[in-house]
Amino acid sequence: MLNKNNKILPFVYLLPTAILLTIFMIIPILYTFYLSFFDWNLIAPTKEFVGLKNYIEVFTDPVNQKVILNTLIYIIFLVILNFVIPYFISLIVKFFISKMQGTYKVLFFIPSLFSLVVGAMIFTWILNPVSGPLAYILKAIGLTMPNWSNSGILAITVICLITNWKVFGYNFILLLTGLGSIPKNIIDAARIDGIPKWRLVWNVILPMNRGIAIYVLILTIVQGLQYVFTPINVITTGGPYYGSSNVIYQTYLNAFVLYKTGTSSALAITTFLIFLILLFLEIKFVESRDKDYV
Amino acid sequence: MNKKFFRNLSVVLSLLALTFIFAGCSKKSSANEVTKITYWHVNAQTQGGATVDQLVKKFNDTHKNIKVTAKYNPNMYQGLMQNLQSAQASGKVPDIVQVGWAYDNYFASNFKYMTPTDAAKKFDGSNKFIDTNFNKRSLSFAKDSTGKLVGLPYSLSTPVLFINKDILAKYNIDENSLQTCEGVKEASQKINQQSGKYGLYIQEPGDTWAQQALMLSHGADIQKNGKATFASKQGIAAYKYYQDMVNSKLALHTPWAQGMDSFVKGDVAMAFTTIAQASHIKKSASFNAAAIVAPHFKGSKTVVPVGGSMLSITAQDEKQQKAAWEFEKFMYSNDSTVTWSKGTGYLPSTKSALKSADFKDYVKQNPMLQPAVDTLDNAIPWTSFPQKGLQAEQAMIDARDKILSGSNVSSTLKSAQEKINAQQK
Amino acid sequence: MFKRKVNLWHVLLILIVLMAILPILFMISNSFKTLQDSYSSMLSLIPKNPTIDNFLTLNRQVNLLGLTWNTFLMATIVTLGKLLTGLLTAYAFRSYQFRGKMLIYLLFVATIFVPFTIVMIPNYLVIAKLDLLNNVVGVALPQLCDATGIMIFLKTMEKIPNSLIDAAHIDQIPNRKIFFNIVIPILKPSIVSVGAIFFINSWNEYVWPTLILKDKGSFTLPLALQNYISSEGGTNFPLAMALSTIMIILPLLIYLIFQKYILNSISNSGLK
Repeated sequence: MLNKNNKILPFVYLLPTAILLTIFMIIPILYTFYLSFFDWNLIAPTKEFVGLKNYIEVFTDPVNQKVILNTLIYIIFLVILNFVIPYFISLIVKFFISKMQGTYKVLFFIPSLFSLVVGAMIFTWILNPVSGPLAYILKAIGLTMPNWSNSGILAITVICLITNWKVFGYNFILLLTGLGSIPKNIIDAARIDGIPKWRLVWNVILPMNRGIAIYVLILTIVQGLQYVFTPINVITTGGPYYGSSNVIYQTYLNAFVLYKTGTSSALAITTFLIFLILLFLEIKFVESRDKDYV
Repeated sequence: MNKKFFRNLSVVLSLLALTFIFAGCSKKSSANEVTKITYWHVNAQTQGGATVDQLVKKFNDTHKNIKVTAKYNPNMYQGLMQNLQSAQASGKVPDIVQVGWAYDNYFASNFKYMTPTDAAKKFDGSNKFIDTNFNKRSLSFAKDSTGKLVGLPYSLSTPVLFINKDILAKYNIDENSLQTCEGVKEASQKINQQSGKYGLYIQEPGDTWAQQALMLSHGADIQKNGKATFASKQGIAAYKYYQDMVNSKLALHTPWAQGMDSFVKGDVAMAFTTIAQASHIKKSASFNAAAIVAPHFKGSKTVVPVGGSMLSITAQDEKQQKAAWEFEKFMYSNDSTVTWSKGTGYLPSTKSALKSADFKDYVKQNPMLQPAVDTLDNAIPWTSFPQKGLQAEQAMIDARDKILSGSNVSSTLKSAQEKINAQQK
Repeated sequence: MFKRKVNLWHVLLILIVLMAILPILFMISNSFKTLQDSYSSMLSLIPKNPTIDNFLTLNRQVNLLGLTWNTFLMATIVTLGKLLTGLLTAYAFRSYQFRGKMLIYLLFVATIFVPFTIVMIPNYLVIAKLDLLNNVVGVALPQLCDATGIMIFLKTMEKIPNSLIDAAHIDQIPNRKIFFNIVIPILKPSIVSVGAIFFINSWNEYVWPTLILKDKGSFTLPLALQNYISSEGGTNFPLAMALSTIMIILPLLIYLIFQKYILNSISNSGLK
């Protein structure tokens, strides 16, 4: 009786998820893959088969090359701003201060309650390089604010800062939750042994929290690249000259501004493949580390 | 007893059901059938959305057999086109849509629509409505590259030069000197040297409307016979002027919203932008703001591409088409057109509304509109390339962005021109 | 010396708090400013001529109650769906051995790596076919499962000692009861915090709803905000900020209600 259940039950539990994923993810991906071999504008009655042309364009077109480079810059910035810093701060809040921990947690999380549209609006206003409040304050102390919207790298920085404002608390809480689930007795034992805090963190806490940490790292890259979509769309629309665009935004631009469904689909598939490589690397990394510790 | 009760109940129920069916039938056959149509527009609440709702309500109240539902499409004409694409893909298209000039050819070659000439012939029996309401120039805006009328001009706009009179007065700048681009540059130098502020901001949205105006006002042509020709001597000179102003910090180079905020805040003395900004500037500026005709280069005259939109009928059913035509006629009545202008900041598109006392009064109360009305006589259709028009516009946007970040003007414009022409065939 | 070190950390943390909170104060302050004051007295956090006109105008121009209800409905459906599918899936992985387990698990994990751009157009067509355009259900439907939820729940479930489940099996407790009476209570802290995050993300969602919801009557709050960002007619910043302020009320309330729960679950299981 129990055995029979064991064979069917897991699939019953998996069924809702499986159905949803098939309809709204697996089939759509296949369809997009199919579209990536055609020249189409979303509505024309016929699609023209063009083979690999769209993929060749993704890698040879200088604009797309620039966008792929930008995507790498985004990844670096996002990892530093939305992963390394929140992790550092969560360690400090957890282990290096004794008062006000509750207050900090409450306050840090508040911005993640906001929509990125709102964040983008508030920050473009505050950071207006000529006429924003910050520009005025800087002017008062004799500094000029750089016109960040004219420089790709500065625009990327500002866009990442906006997502950082929103995501910081979210990632902070996730990491802190992870730190919180570390068994107390291990830490107590280390304390009693008089091991310095930073060594405790480095040798015990970080390895133990690896699961959540790597999850947040993955999230930072994959979600982050999609999170920045909204500020890019609201503030720079990818400018100056694609300087702040990334593959996600470029996919959208091709699909819904230029109506080049084929190029857009090829870009989407390429993004997906890059993400899958990331997934593969992460799994590899986690597996090998696991073997060291277990 | 129980059985009886149920039998009685079932009889009563079936009688009731029958009466409902009859009532339903008789209602359908006796009263006029209501034709439902949807109207897609782009007017956000900051830009006359409430006026659109008000006009639609008035139409529905006075036309009992038609019901119009207005739908707002975010992100302007581009957003509307995007939604129309998706609607077409899902098989549910609206009946009337507001199409921006830049999407003229794109719309005509990708969507099914009923040209106003056909609608007039079919439902009125003559072309009278079109001929009496629109002049040749404004109709020319709404024609595609084959000369076919795609819709009827609905809103018109032109770029003007908004000025901060307080700043100009402070640095003794004569308004008349701002008629030429050279004068604008001189004034900007004066302002910049004495206050560190920027002289000029030229709007930088997701199109090159204002930049095209600058080139046109230097005697350049954007296109000739469907081929791009903007990389001419004059076109290059106009862009060099612009690049030079930006490089020497006389002109501000920043996205549209920020640029306008800087003008409204008083950090930029002049703003070269659409007349549609007038009411926003009036409401938000705490200085004395005015508008003058957009400047031209010495030896040329001010020529601008017209901005705004047309109304096109996308309904496929004859009943819907008729209702849509009825609705259009209502929207083009003097009363509606002027109300709409007041709500949106655009200029009216019909001859009589432009001349009406109501609109003239309105211009008197809002003198910022006068230069835009004056400029209309020098407006030409917005360049819309016959093939791959959206990608052509993107090529021009890319060229603008490159030039303003320091690329060589003539080679950048030339390569953009070649790229566009390669697609025209 | 120890004490001074601690104080320095507080300086850094307070600085972060300021960076997090000041923009919000700025938003609230601007929602009470007139359009002119928003430009002319940009730096003052306290409005010069405080006014509630922005809220009154909003109330006139949009159906605030309807917008809030749409947003709430959408976020609730999405959150419940994600929690349910996430818990069931994680439980199946935690408790059973079955063929293809690793492959199916990897497939689920891989969905985290699916960019929304790849499914956007096909999903739109499916929702249109189901006649769910202009309906928040259409927005919610493709988002009812979420691999991040599965992963977090599975990570937490793996911490439940095997002996506990085994003991239950030996006692012949039905699987359903094990799931509801043993696993769910243990997972409560993460269900609450993950659920809160799901809800808030959905509440604020922007890109996908803009494709599905075209009719004003079906708009969610973030979509209504687009009404006040129009480059052609100029952006009405104070009105946009007033709407943003309204938009934050419910997430803030929910956060305040569950915040204690979340924070308790953190401090209970960790250090003092």
